[in-house]
Amino acid sequence: MQTKKSMTVAVAAVLAMVIGSSVSCAETKASEKKASPTAGPKVEEFEQSMSYEEYQKRYKEVFGTATEQMAEEGNPAELALDDGLDLVNTVAGTKGLSCASCHGKDGVKLKGVAATYPKYSPAIKGIATVALQINRCREGKMGAEPLKYESYDQLAITMYVKSLSNGLPIRVSIDGPARPFYDKGKVYYYQRQGQFNFSCAVCHVKYAGHMARTNLISNNKHHGDHWPAYRLKWGKTGSMQRRFRGCLKNMRAERPAFQSEIFRDLELYLTSIANGEPVQVPGLRM
Amino acid sequence: MPKHIGKIRIRVPKHIANGEVIPIKALITHPMETGLRKNKKTGKMIPAFYINDVSVYYGGELVTHADWTIAVSANPFMTCYVKADKSAPLKIVWKDIKGGVYEKTVQIQPE
Amino acid sequence: MKEKQTQPSAVSRRQFLKQAGFASVAVMAVSTVSSMFSAEASSPLSWLGAQEAEAAGRDVREVLRANFGDRTIQPSHVTLKTPIIAENGAVVPVTIDSDLPMEAANYVKKMYIFVDQNADPFIASVDLTPASGKALYALRIKMRKTSLVRAIVETNKGVLYGDTKTVKVTIGGCGG
Repeated sequence: MQTKKSMTVAVAAVLAMVIGSSVSCAETKASEKKASPTAGPKVEEFEQSMSYEEYQKRYKEVFGTATEQMAEEGNPAELALDDGLDLVNTVAGTKGLSCASCHGKDGVKLKGVAATYPKYSPAIKGIATVALQINRCREGKMGAEPLKYESYDQLAITMYVKSLSNGLPIRVSIDGPARPFYDKGKVYYYQRQGQFNFSCAVCHVKYAGHMARTNLISNNKHHGDHWPAYRLKWGKTGSMQRRFRGCLKNMRAERPAFQSEIFRDLELYLTSIANGEPVQVPGLRM
Repeated sequence: MPKHIGKIRIRVPKHIANGEVIPIKALITHPMETGLRKNKKTGKMIPAFYINDVSVYYGGELVTHADWTIAVSANPFMTCYVKADKSAPLKIVWKDIKGGVYEKTVQIQPE
Repeated sequence: MKEKQTQPSAVSRRQFLKQAGFASVAVMAVSTVSSMFSAEASSPLSWLGAQEAEAAGRDVREVLRANFGDRTIQPSHVTLKTPIIAENGAVVPVTIDSDLPMEAANYVKKMYIFVDQNADPFIASVDLTPASGKALYALRIKMRKTSLVRAIVETNKGVLYGDTKTVKVTIGGCGG
């Protein structure tokens, strides 16, 4: 399945390069009309090691359903959702506004919105994640201090806002203005870096379902749909980007800062892989 | 106590028959610090801070009591059972070694 | 965190089961079992196989002795449910489940959890009453490394029953 997809992408990329080079002003028109790719970067994609079903089977063989049951019975991250709700309804900053002032009591108007994030934001001419947007709203609209990334409050609001989209299918846009950032994210995902010369894709596409020393490498199909998540190893809740930094540390690679441009692009790429899957926030991971 | 410590959720079945033996699932946020970890930045040992006593009361009577040690996981989750033979409050009290007391009550309403 | 490359001389589950003769309950009759321990006829581990008891290590034997003296612990009426491999040793879900009655005159009054290879093998204990209705307790525990986990229950009449499971804990993977 993945082979066909990667071949189609490769062919599309080549075609796009041919078309792009011959029709110079096609870019803006194309983004308005249909979902035709602009000239994409050359990314040597791997063939996926195994189907998702096979990966799941393998995971269950090794670990059973213990973690799944823990997530269902008692995910400590869920206990912060009430705080997220309170913060959404609480006035903050110099303008006497709360998130609810614009987004409805309990943030009700935000239902479904997180399913489209990360998304291109014309105001920042880049990709906005929910966490970033929360801070942008606070600073720009509320005259409030931005919340430190990975702090309890930041995570609580992010989790709460995203949980309003629980069950809805993820549908992030990777076309039009989002496209160049999606491409950057994809290039980063496949680019070898660090002392071990790994890339995200080497493990999570090429060797997903295989063992990396004593860990079973996860398939990336659902990586985008359940963050922030409670991680057993952290004994805390953290964002997808915190997880990126953890992986990069293990890869002995450089670690970009939270909500840096490349991390937002990467988050867009990873979330797009989960397009169609239901939002399930907060998650629980090893 | 910081707001992220001592957040509680108690789950009981939605429908309870009179006299039914029901599971009580209780989750509380608490670092359950063992006292054996070192702060990487300061080099000092992080002091122990954990829940060591859990009591479950049903209708005011002590039903279940547990002694916990540092070896209970952070943000502890437990399941215990209760014979639901009366309409009465179920209260769970957690106590930690620093004198912190956390409690929550849910109503058990057999049908 | 470096992975310790020590392979304990512990037997595999299959070997242990063969040796301890778990296949036939009759083998676990007190008299037969205590004869397995010529050196310690009144060992609290009288219900375990000899080889496995040796691999348990000094600490847990002392802890068990301190708690139960030389009382017999019968390997029945209790099931300890654990994962075979813990995805993360900091959070291992365990469930002690006993089918013993919970009546006014006959009930399980206490349940214990021990993890052999933890610095302190005593993990937790639970006091129950007949109002508990069922002798089942589930908890998430920390395990330092691959180890035997033991569940022991005590009735109001002072009778002890127990079950054990080995849980594998992996360290040093790439899970971050």
